[in-house]
Amino acid sequence: MILNYDFTFLALLLAPARGESVTCRHRCHVVPTRRCMCEQSPALEQAADTSVILTYWQLEDKVRDEKGIARLKAAIVKCLLSGAYRKAAARQPEFAGVVCAQLEELRRLEQERCACVDRPADAFARLLVAAAPALPDEGQRRAMEQLLYHLGRWIYLVDARDDLQEDLKSGGYNPVALRWGDAPEDTELDLTLTHSVSLMRSAAALLELGRQTEIVENVLNYGLPAVQKAVPSGQWKQMQKHKIWSNKA
Amino acid sequence: MNDPYSVLGVSPNASDEEVKRAYRELARKYHPDNYQNNPLADLAEEKMKAVNEAYDAIQKQRQGGGGTYGSQSASYSSSGTKDPAFARIRSAVSAGDLQLADRLLSEISDHGAEWHFLSGAVAYRRGWLDEARQHYQIACQLDPGNMEYRQALAMMNNAGGGFSSYGTGGGMSDCCTTYLCLRCLCPFDGGLFC
Repeated sequence: MILNYDFTFLALLLAPARGESVTCRHRCHVVPTRRCMCEQSPALEQAADTSVILTYWQLEDKVRDEKGIARLKAAIVKCLLSGAYRKAAARQPEFAGVVCAQLEELRRLEQERCACVDRPADAFARLLVAAAPALPDEGQRRAMEQLLYHLGRWIYLVDARDDLQEDLKSGGYNPVALRWGDAPEDTELDLTLTHSVSLMRSAAALLELGRQTEIVENVLNYGLPAVQKAVPSGQWKQMQKHKIWSNKA
Repeated sequence: MNDPYSVLGVSPNASDEEVKRAYRELARKYHPDNYQNNPLADLAEEKMKAVNEAYDAIQKQRQGGGGTYGSQSASYSSSGTKDPAFARIRSAVSAGDLQLADRLLSEISDHGAEWHFLSGAVAYRRGWLDEARQHYQIACQLDPGNMEYRQALAMMNNAGGGFSSYGTGGGMSDCCTTYLCLRCLCPFDGGLFC
């Protein structure tokens, strides 16, 4: 229900570099008439917990900030998610604490209408760093943290650019608009996003990702730059609207 | 030392040409130019060293010759300043103590070129790339002749250099050529970053 490409990628990074993958066949929880192949792995469980915890706190934010129907919808979904949140938070109490603290920091920066793009992006990036697996090797841990930090920074800024027009209409906080104006040329945004991708790629080159190496490299070399290009032009919204990248046949 | 063949990712039965190709590919991947200013430069240097040692070991075993790519240290230096307050900040940045660097910067009231340059360095180490670039721009405006500042701003304007274009090694055909070109562009060693 709340699975997206960001968390699928996170699951790939959290998966161990070596070892056999165990697959099984289950009914889909959302569409029970469908039976799907799925992989059973602690990495997927952890990524799913991460996703549930983050979504729960984002809904909490919406309940606090939105009005009318949007607020009611958020309150209902939050209520439906509360059981799953309790279980996920019990499994990952530290991560749940970090999410709560960093979203509080984000809220503070939004209220201040912070015009620096790095500070709110930093608050979000730290969330993903907190999801990093406890790697015993210091070098591997540092490389994974750099990759996750810049992935979080990149996601936050691309998302802010994608929401630009809606935020301008609603008067919502948007760091990209505050930094580069209502009609940004995107040159500087593109530069800083490309720099983050560059730092992600240099970190990935040092990581032992085993069988995930090719797909992670593919995402970093082609996937992220393609999205980065499609978002400012409005193509990304069209792709999502027409479900061009849907996994349905 | 690990099995040199597994370090290069080739079989012990690989031909000389295959060993050389694997070595070149890894040397290009971990070359210091790809990690200039990168907080993970020390890890890349370790990898580069392991790759060089593995290649040398195989060459010796096979009674061959051939040199290895040089590995340039990415250590920080305080040689870019004469002011002891700024030297302390440079040391703090080098040691990764960004809180101390921040505190020392906040104690300086004169926000001149070096103050902005070092504020940029602290922001860069945090991953605050846009803020770092803005500080470097101001540093270059205040002291346009300073090569260290210009080098830092050029790196930001090139989105970090090495890995910013797609394809290992930044799309350059030969890493030695890249290295030589960069050395020509950056004549001053011992700066804050390289």
